[in-house]
Amino acid sequence: MEGESFTDINGTPIFLDCQSHSTFCREFTVTSPKVPVTKVIVFTCSIWLLAYAVFLFTEDTVVLTSAILITLVSMMLYVHLVKVEQETLFIIGSLGVQMSSSYASGRETTTFIELNKIKDIVINEAIYMHQIIYYLCVLLKDPSDPDAVSSVVPLFQSSKPRLNCLMKVYRSCQEILSKCP
Amino acid sequence: MGPDSAPDPPVPWRKVLWERQPFPDNYVDGRFLEELRRNEGLRQYHYWAVVKEAGSVGQQLSCVAIFITVWLYMEQGLLSPEVLLLTSLVCAMLGYGLHQVLASTVDSGDEPRTRLADLQSAAIFLSFTYGFSPVLKTLTESVSTDTVYAMSAVMLLAHLIFFPYTQPSPPGSLSLNAALFASVCLASRLPGALHTFAMLSCALLVFALWPCLLQRLREKAPSQFTGVCVGMCIGGIGGLGSQSLVGAVLLALALGNVTFFCPLLLITLQRQKDNIQGPWDEAEIHEDLSHFIQ
Amino acid sequence: MGQRGRAVLQSNASQQESSGTSQDALKHNRKHNICMVSDFFYPNMGGVESHIYLLSQCLIEKGHKVVIVTHSYGKRKGVRYLTNGLKVYYLPLQVMYNQSTVTTCFHSLPLLRCVLVRERITVVHAHSSFSALAHDSLFHAKTMGLNTVFTDHSLFGFADISSVLTNKLLTITLCDTNHIVCVSYTSKENTVLRAALNPEIVSVIPNAVESTDFTPDPSQRRDDRITIVVISRLVYRKGIDLLGGIIPELCLKHPDLNFLIGGEGPKRLVLEEVREKYQLHDRVRLLGALEHKDVRNVLVQGHIFLNTSLTEAFCMAIVEGASCGLQVVSTCVGGIPEVLPEDLITLCEPNVRSLCAGLEKVIARQRSGAVPTPASIHARVKNLYTWRNVAERTEKVYDRVVGEEVLPLHMRIQRLRSHCGPVAGSIFAFVAVLDFLFLLLLQWLVPDQIMDLAVDASGPFGMWNQESGIKKRTSSQKS
Repeated sequence: MEGESFTDINGTPIFLDCQSHSTFCREFTVTSPKVPVTKVIVFTCSIWLLAYAVFLFTEDTVVLTSAILITLVSMMLYVHLVKVEQETLFIIGSLGVQMSSSYASGRETTTFIELNKIKDIVINEAIYMHQIIYYLCVLLKDPSDPDAVSSVVPLFQSSKPRLNCLMKVYRSCQEILSKCP
Repeated sequence: MGPDSAPDPPVPWRKVLWERQPFPDNYVDGRFLEELRRNEGLRQYHYWAVVKEAGSVGQQLSCVAIFITVWLYMEQGLLSPEVLLLTSLVCAMLGYGLHQVLASTVDSGDEPRTRLADLQSAAIFLSFTYGFSPVLKTLTESVSTDTVYAMSAVMLLAHLIFFPYTQPSPPGSLSLNAALFASVCLASRLPGALHTFAMLSCALLVFALWPCLLQRLREKAPSQFTGVCVGMCIGGIGGLGSQSLVGAVLLALALGNVTFFCPLLLITLQRQKDNIQGPWDEAEIHEDLSHFIQ
Repeated sequence: MGQRGRAVLQSNASQQESSGTSQDALKHNRKHNICMVSDFFYPNMGGVESHIYLLSQCLIEKGHKVVIVTHSYGKRKGVRYLTNGLKVYYLPLQVMYNQSTVTTCFHSLPLLRCVLVRERITVVHAHSSFSALAHDSLFHAKTMGLNTVFTDHSLFGFADISSVLTNKLLTITLCDTNHIVCVSYTSKENTVLRAALNPEIVSVIPNAVESTDFTPDPSQRRDDRITIVVISRLVYRKGIDLLGGIIPELCLKHPDLNFLIGGEGPKRLVLEEVREKYQLHDRVRLLGALEHKDVRNVLVQGHIFLNTSLTEAFCMAIVEGASCGLQVVSTCVGGIPEVLPEDLITLCEPNVRSLCAGLEKVIARQRSGAVPTPASIHARVKNLYTWRNVAERTEKVYDRVVGEEVLPLHMRIQRLRSHCGPVAGSIFAFVAVLDFLFLLLLQWLVPDQIMDLAVDASGPFGMWNQESGIKKRTSSQKS
């Protein structure tokens, strides 16, 4: 299966790649664009200019040093903790769902949910900041009461694709879930 | 039924909701707002009547001026405390007599106070004030004179603002306390303990007893009341004039403003009044229902 | 005023006739996307709340799409679905007083815009003048170029300072609202005066009562006694002080008289004290707050329904009482005299003497058996006020409103300044400009076209009953 271009809720383009390994096993990868160089340059320049302006008044070189350190540290933290380049949803019928996100630094986090804990995968609506958005989520069963939902695990949390992209993933997921008993 | 559907009005419109009427929902009948009432129960004021009523405000203003004049005289040593005490005593006796005369003309329903009770309270007050006057004299020694003057001014103003002009007997507790506080402040700046005592007795006379007498006078002899008010105003201006001309002019202006200009303003603004009443107003419960639960 | 009004009306009507039937047919087929906005909605309970819910249900039945916007109630925030795919947005806005939100004129715009855009709303219908969110939404909807309708559910005086301020606010928000709906003629007169409106754009559409929920059952009554039922919140405005005067007066005279009082509120103390003082514990029963479903079971136990309100725009309680076959005695205030025909209601002045006299008359009639049977009263009342009728009439208001033109910004400013006075008008003209600029900023940040359109649950293309549509759950949470 080849990939398709979509946009996220802020209008930035994202790329959805669907791979069908077998009839019971599919992989969805949402790739966000890399951080543009211009953005990085603008961010660094503005902090340094600010620091230089402060330096002109205080004539203290500590300001410049700390500005450089702050930019470096914040960029590293951003790359390591915030910026997600790729989010993957790996669904295997009869086994479960694996969600992994890889950060720009190369760090990867992975969560796996067993199929017998999953009640359903649905598209839901929520108020996010000053917007109302659609998101895809996994409903977890309540261990004591199989008909109740104990909690909700949102998918593609950092890339936040729009509804058309979510629908595509949703349909494929439902196809697989419906085949499992 | 909806807005703007064709009306055919052979039947008259009725102000009811339970009947489906052949009129659109937004139909406006000729009887729209016919139950609207404007300025119901409006009081019509007559200029001179209002001026007369405003006289009691002017009179109170003059009382304060007279009190300040007395204090000024005392402070400059032009008036000895003995003379003030004597005058106060004579005034109090005269006033008490007048009060009794006015009371006896129409017997009020409730139990009248006996002379003995009056004498008792007078004695208690005088002895306590006399006993405490050295204390009161030194009470504000640590406070600077400017502060004391500012405080007295504010308190006298509070007295004038919170004075219950419609029902001055008994004098409102807030205004009376403010006035007595001001007089204690002022009295403590006088040279001796006897001065303080005389000043406080005078304050009691002016701020507590005089309004009671005046109220009696107003009820029993309204024509004399006007005369007394005019007299007080002239007395206030005259007294203040003997000490400070500027003060007298300002007082005269204030009195003129309160008694002549403000009523004029009230009557002119009254014409602008547009009060709307109708069936939508919340009904008021007029009867006293408290006896059902007590 | 009335004369001029009628002339305009007739000219409008003739225009419509000449424009032919094709347009008429088009009008009736048009379906609307309606957004109901009010601070008051379920889980809060009351007249406005049930009005919004039942009206929405009937409009959905007629094929319109309806969404409701309210503020969040405790943990209930986000998007919820009710029966028949009625979608409710619980927006996370700060509540200030009495379940009404804080208004800054601006902060609710981003979320309201989001709702209005993604639901493709054509008419914004705000409810209740006590609701700040309703006022906000009227203002923002005009900024976004939408047509608006407002329903006023309450009466207001003109005397005190708080009503002077609320009335000014109402003048401003209603100054370019397309149509206003009032629940009674008295309420219309009141609203027209308060907001300085043209009476032509104010329709009177009464509230309705689900008469199938209020059926009589005389077997529940005790025939050896006469029971008077009162169901209202126990607050000053409902005249509970008067009730406290009536109870001892009548109980002393008639030993077979019972009172059954449902409802809760600060004035419960008054009734308890009366009960204590006159030793009426076995004859005056205070039931406390009642659930909506229990109201009917209480009503059918009584012979007479008593309403002592001091002010009331419509008063659904007396219709509910009559629907259950009770004799109704009520104070003659506000819109109450318009609600029931003269032979079904005994109207009294709002004082103890008049109410007692009215009650005695009805008690005597009840004793002599000269009253119509509960079933016959129910039969007369049941078709007077139905939600279906309300929905039909409201639909006509929408039909009229969508055809109207929304004033562009400069005209709106002019109208605000000419209509709301030089000071308040200028201030709010400025606010309107700021609101417009804020909207431009939001449109630049999140353009309309990248906002996902909401999947219709109700309406002409509703997904609610279509299994092929994407499956969605009612649970939702704020992320």
